[in-house]
Amino acid sequence: MTGHRFGAILSLLRQGLAVEVEFGSHSLEAMVWVAETVERSVYEPHSLCRTADGLRFVLNNPPLRTGAFSWVSLAVDGAVVPPERVWTRPGPGSPWKSLQGISIEHPFEVRPGERTEVVIRDPLPLGRPEVRIRIEFRSVAIPPLVWFEFSDSLGPETPG
Amino acid sequence: MNARPIPVLLTSLASAALLDGQGNLDLVQETRGTPVDWGGVYGQLVRLTGPWRLVLHVDGAAQGLPESRVDARVTDGRWVSHHRWDRLEIVQSVAAVMDPPGVLRTLRCTVTEGPPIALTVESSWSPFLLPVLVEGIRPIHFEVETRGTEWRVRQRGFGLAFRSTVPASQLLINRASWRGGQYAGRVEELRSEHEVRVAPGSPAEITFLVHGGLERDLGRSTNLESVLQDPARAGGASGVDDATWTGRTATLRFPNAPTLELAYSLARTALRRLYSAPGDGLAGLVAGYPWYSSIWCRDLAWMLPAVLWLGDFDWTERSLTSVFAFQSRSTLPILGGEPGELPMQISPGPIFFYGTSDTSLYYPGLVSRLVRHSGRRASVDLWIPAVQRVIDWGRARTDPETGLLRHGGEVETISAAAASLARIRYGIDAPDTTIWDSTDRRPHAVDIQALWYDALLAASGLVAESVPDSERAAYRSLADRVLDSIRRRYPWPEERYLYDSLGAQGPVRKVRPNALRAVSAGLLDPNVAHEVVRRAAEGDLTTPWGVRTLSDRDPTYDPQAYHDGQVWTIATSWAADAAYHVGEPELGYAYLETIARHLVDEGGFAHECYRGDRPEPFNSCFLLGFSVAPFLTSLFEQLWGLAVDAERRRLTVRPSFPAGWTEASIERLSLGHGTVDLKWTPARWTVRWTGTEPLTVGTTSGEVVVPPGESRTLERTVTAAAGSRPAEIS
Repeated sequence: MTGHRFGAILSLLRQGLAVEVEFGSHSLEAMVWVAETVERSVYEPHSLCRTADGLRFVLNNPPLRTGAFSWVSLAVDGAVVPPERVWTRPGPGSPWKSLQGISIEHPFEVRPGERTEVVIRDPLPLGRPEVRIRIEFRSVAIPPLVWFEFSDSLGPETPG
Repeated sequence: MNARPIPVLLTSLASAALLDGQGNLDLVQETRGTPVDWGGVYGQLVRLTGPWRLVLHVDGAAQGLPESRVDARVTDGRWVSHHRWDRLEIVQSVAAVMDPPGVLRTLRCTVTEGPPIALTVESSWSPFLLPVLVEGIRPIHFEVETRGTEWRVRQRGFGLAFRSTVPASQLLINRASWRGGQYAGRVEELRSEHEVRVAPGSPAEITFLVHGGLERDLGRSTNLESVLQDPARAGGASGVDDATWTGRTATLRFPNAPTLELAYSLARTALRRLYSAPGDGLAGLVAGYPWYSSIWCRDLAWMLPAVLWLGDFDWTERSLTSVFAFQSRSTLPILGGEPGELPMQISPGPIFFYGTSDTSLYYPGLVSRLVRHSGRRASVDLWIPAVQRVIDWGRARTDPETGLLRHGGEVETISAAAASLARIRYGIDAPDTTIWDSTDRRPHAVDIQALWYDALLAASGLVAESVPDSERAAYRSLADRVLDSIRRRYPWPEERYLYDSLGAQGPVRKVRPNALRAVSAGLLDPNVAHEVVRRAAEGDLTTPWGVRTLSDRDPTYDPQAYHDGQVWTIATSWAADAAYHVGEPELGYAYLETIARHLVDEGGFAHECYRGDRPEPFNSCFLLGFSVAPFLTSLFEQLWGLAVDAERRRLTVRPSFPAGWTEASIERLSLGHGTVDLKWTPARWTVRWTGTEPLTVGTTSGEVVVPPGESRTLERTVTAAAGSRPAEIS
């Protein structure tokens, strides 16, 4: 554990204690419910896996903000993947679309509870036990960038 | 723009039903650029279900309720629809109930002739179980359990229960038959089938109830059985409460402007829909529907002045108590909170977040308003320390040279606090959180400075007996410095306007309506104020459907950008307010008429915002409290020109009615412990007062003292050449 992380955890404990003292344990508990729900409801745990030519994973919800996005960018371990190599679809049977075709006229749309399968057709060097994915979204309606980041160990290879 | 179906919003103080008026609890609304179905049941500010649909089955044939709908209406707080399918006549009633917090749905099925019908009613919905503060998330995994005839569904600490008066003959989870018991896992849909027999002279009735919110509150209601046994009474309770509330509020009559009079009535009703007492002792008004249905304290601050003019002092007091209870006492970066800061949002749980630059600044002024309207001091004295902490919070972020309040970075603080802790991180790169929180206006937006000035003055008046004179003098001195800085640093001579903000690189040259707040606060030289109002009225900022958030001549203008081009109803109210303030009543009235047309055209609601290039709602809640409340406040304070001082039992009335008006009146204007009725004609004022001590009324025709329980009339003779001649008192 780095000193920075240890310090952050201590800070969190102090803040948690302050919330409990000032507003009661119910508050602390309820805040955790919301944080946990968000954490576990967007990226489908353990869905990140290797494919023959890259990676795939599943999102079960929008990244906090719902709606239409005119621009989406995805990075693997900090390296942005070219948009033509990232493909998405709502689920089996739906056509795949690449991020390259996304625009204000043809936005990427996600609604609460809607599933999105994501495939990255970009070979990943072998030997990485864990991968960090960052996705950035630009809404057609509200300018500030929305981002979502997760890291997970790679599951067994599945058909791409 | 009127072609869109008008939503149906049914509320109790602790629950809501959202529907499109076609037959089911469906409500598809364009949301952030894409259609999203917001229909369903909401309880304790938690979205309990997604769309809730009923389908009728007879002899292998199926019919949805929308397809069989004959007509529908809202009556006594309930939505009642009439359906006909073959020989079946069905009356459906939908209502929000407070205890338990949820929604009742009753079908009464009849046939007049022929053999009995075996009818199966199929109910289906998907659970949500997350507070509406997280707009884009539907949890995936749930725990489901049957308890007798009840289903319970849980998701972490949130829960719901589903009951019906006719037990289910069949249960399905994700369209697979389920025998009941306990289930944990992914849930997309919960479906049940209920069989009834309908025969001539023997109607069948089935009532469904979905209720919940916080799991720990499930099962606590002692009202459950009576609600199910008498759904008509339970379902009508909110309507009765609404009627009682309306009967206590002021009625405004404008016989010369029927649209405006109707708009007042609609706006008052719309505001009532937002009243919320969701549990945990919280009270307030939710910001709007569908996706802002939680208590946002900034929005609440814009609504409470209207609530006071409507005479609901108790609700204002309860609301302020709720907000002050969550004032941060320490630094909480994970929630964006600093000592003295008031929350951005509160929900039962209780769940709360901080991290806005403006929310805290409204509240000292609101406390002053409560005193002026009600004369109440008991709670106010308890809130004085909280008001002082707000000022201390502001002083900690004040530029020492200018006195200007510094804002920005609030959301970044939250992200930074969580950065090294989680395997899953998420955020919005919003660098600033003024009322236009999707755009960067750092570090000294003009409207924030107007609010800061107002907060300092209000605090200085409130703490008069609680702090040393030196401290009060410090408040006033800082207010003077803010005023001086605004007058010297913000005027933008080339535009005859005010800079939107002052940045490190110099003034921010953007024409936004926010400058109008400095006019309404009385911070500007009268000539400058007048120029600002005239400039805002030009076509790049003011459209026929309202006022844009940014001039369309600005290089960054985008007609569908939330805060960089869209038209906002609240900005239109600001323009009205400022126009009256500088003595431009025709212009002010034109802005009020714009909002009035929206209210009438939109079926009693007022959208949050519209595209900047055409009068079309976009990315817009169909009802936002701060679209209706500032309009109501302007009718009282600007059109009627009312000012109250309950402690001195004084009412001032200086109306700015349009030329040609022949009469106007107010009934039941609350002031302290009494109410005032006012009637105006060009020739006469009539004032009636119900209080226990005399009321002094100052009008444009002179001043009159009205004894308790009596009326007084002020006559004036109108002459064609010289206008009006005051004033004879009878």
